[in-house]
Amino acid sequence: MVATVDTVVEDPAMIEEFVKHVQSGGKVESGDWMPEDYRKQVLRFVEMHANSELMGVLPEREWINKAPTLKRKLALTAKVQDEVGHAELLYRVAEDLGKTREAMLQDLLDGKTKFHNVFHYPTYSWADVAIIAWLVDAAAIQSQKALLDSSYAPYARTMQKICWEESFHIKHGYDMVVTMMNGTRQQKDMIQEALNRWWVPLVHFHGPPTMAEKDRDLYYRIKAKPNFVLRQEFFSKYIPKILELGLTIPDPELHFDTEANEWRYADPDWNELKMVVTGHGLKTEDRLNLRRLAYADTQWVRDVVMG
Amino acid sequence: MPVFEVFQQAREGKAFEHGGNVVAPDAEMAILYAREFYGRRQEAHRIWVVPRECIVEINDPDLLHPPAVDRSYRTVGGYSVRDTLRATRGAVAGSAQPD
Amino acid sequence: MSDTTITKTDTKALHTLLTALADDEFILGYRNSEWTGIAPMLEEDVAFSSMSQDEIGHARLLYQMLSELTGVPADRIAYARQPEEYLNCLLVEHRKLDWAHAIARYFLYDTADHVRVEALTRSRYTPLANAMQKIVREEKYHLMHGDMWMKRLANLSSDSRERLVVALDSLWPDALGIFEPLPSEEELVASGVLESSMSQLQAEWLEQVAPYFESLDLPFPATKDESTGRYVPTVEPVYGGRQGKHSPELAELWDEMTSVYRLDPEAVW
Repeated sequence: MVATVDTVVEDPAMIEEFVKHVQSGGKVESGDWMPEDYRKQVLRFVEMHANSELMGVLPEREWINKAPTLKRKLALTAKVQDEVGHAELLYRVAEDLGKTREAMLQDLLDGKTKFHNVFHYPTYSWADVAIIAWLVDAAAIQSQKALLDSSYAPYARTMQKICWEESFHIKHGYDMVVTMMNGTRQQKDMIQEALNRWWVPLVHFHGPPTMAEKDRDLYYRIKAKPNFVLRQEFFSKYIPKILELGLTIPDPELHFDTEANEWRYADPDWNELKMVVTGHGLKTEDRLNLRRLAYADTQWVRDVVMG
Repeated sequence: MPVFEVFQQAREGKAFEHGGNVVAPDAEMAILYAREFYGRRQEAHRIWVVPRECIVEINDPDLLHPPAVDRSYRTVGGYSVRDTLRATRGAVAGSAQPD
Repeated sequence: MSDTTITKTDTKALHTLLTALADDEFILGYRNSEWTGIAPMLEEDVAFSSMSQDEIGHARLLYQMLSELTGVPADRIAYARQPEEYLNCLLVEHRKLDWAHAIARYFLYDTADHVRVEALTRSRYTPLANAMQKIVREEKYHLMHGDMWMKRLANLSSDSRERLVVALDSLWPDALGIFEPLPSEEELVASGVLESSMSQLQAEWLEQVAPYFESLDLPFPATKDESTGRYVPTVEPVYGGRQGKHSPELAELWDEMTSVYRLDPEAVW
């Protein structure tokens, strides 16, 4: 059931039939024949997703230690645990497409593969934890819903499991934000300050507007919706919720254009996104170093059990 | 490392459904990890852990959906009794005359 | 005397017992969650996290019990004390981010705690007995996990065996500190809150784990006293935790753990 690479030159007719199949909603299982381009595209996509889940753990883990109540401590531990678990599920899917977990983890640590922009930024306060748990998770779930019907069935099924498991994450995050916005002056200020720092990364989250025609992930129906649609959906759902708490969004240009039926916002610096995604974000090196050291320190354990 | 497929029975008596898989050096570790990934949220009443190599797949459409012969005799939808029943009822009503 | 009648003398002693039990779980849960994101395999990351949540959950149960007795909210009991008011054993307060040490520490704690919890399922203080009956079932998973790793580290290579032996050797003195006699322990035994003294529980523990260590050919720092039939340690225990005397590591842990809480102890988070 593991995908294999055919060294035979691929038959264009077979490729065309395959593309028709996936574009009309057909599914692909791990052992099925697939064009090499498709296999590589899915692998790349899933690998980045797995890397993102794993790197997402690192900004949050230090706050498990600092969680100020027993319930928050349990909830944050469980949420972060889910994220590690999701990384594992996604690496499993990717591994069945022909790349070993060791190779993927090594490439991540060597800075050769990408992970999602938001996980490059520092966290300064408990309010960051709340904003991430609410809004970053919300942005992620928006993306994930567009993957539930992915042409690559093992990925689609994993996404269904992930979406189900994440349902409490947003609720927990929202609960934290609402509690603090109903709290002391200091707590409200902390949340506003965190939002001020996280707003641009959130706008970046769904990626730069790509031409739908050039988007290979759409072409193969690995994902069902283009970036700009996901962003608009996220804005429509969450901007009202943010504003009703008395928070200000740090973009004076932000408004809903009723004629065009879309949110208008200050164009974020897409160069910043590019720099961050290629590994130059503020906390990227620190976090990768933590993982590198831990990975090296524990190599003996893997050697012993894997034989 | 061997892959183990995991099947979950959500509630007592229900069918076991494929949930996904885990990878582990041996069965003992696979069982522990299956419980983690497919049971830690108390979402399973029972779990089966099966080495992937033990699973044999049938995926040939010629075997599973052979196209030529009409096999509707095997399905509920292959039978339409409505008209015949109406006629039979009519005949029964017509012949039921008190003596 | 009814099961839930608490005399004045029992009350303070009972509080001490509940605090020690809760603090052991709370601090160990804290240490175990430090593997998040950096465990040898993702699978172990998830497993340690589950066990950590079990421990924090047990601590919460016990803090809530204390809260009912004292009127102080559970979160305040967990977060508002000073380091010298925590009554955990020293074994659980050390940061152990070497795998052999983490597994060894966990195994020693879980097997010892199992003897303690199991005895407490028969406590005359019913709320505690009930709580322990639930807790003892959750421990099955921890013991399974511990056994899985102890066997592998002991048997799969001479390198892993060496690391395990060194780790165990360094941790035994602290592990014996789990059974440091509690202040006013005699009252607890007299009233049936505790079935036997900590010293007796320790002897039971050593008796229980001796065959396991022998089966894995691991050094066992205790010998059976032929006259009493009880196992006696051959290393010095490290005491102090039950009196609030801790290593500098607890103060560091406390500082981090309470840093957000101390921003405003009156705030709701």
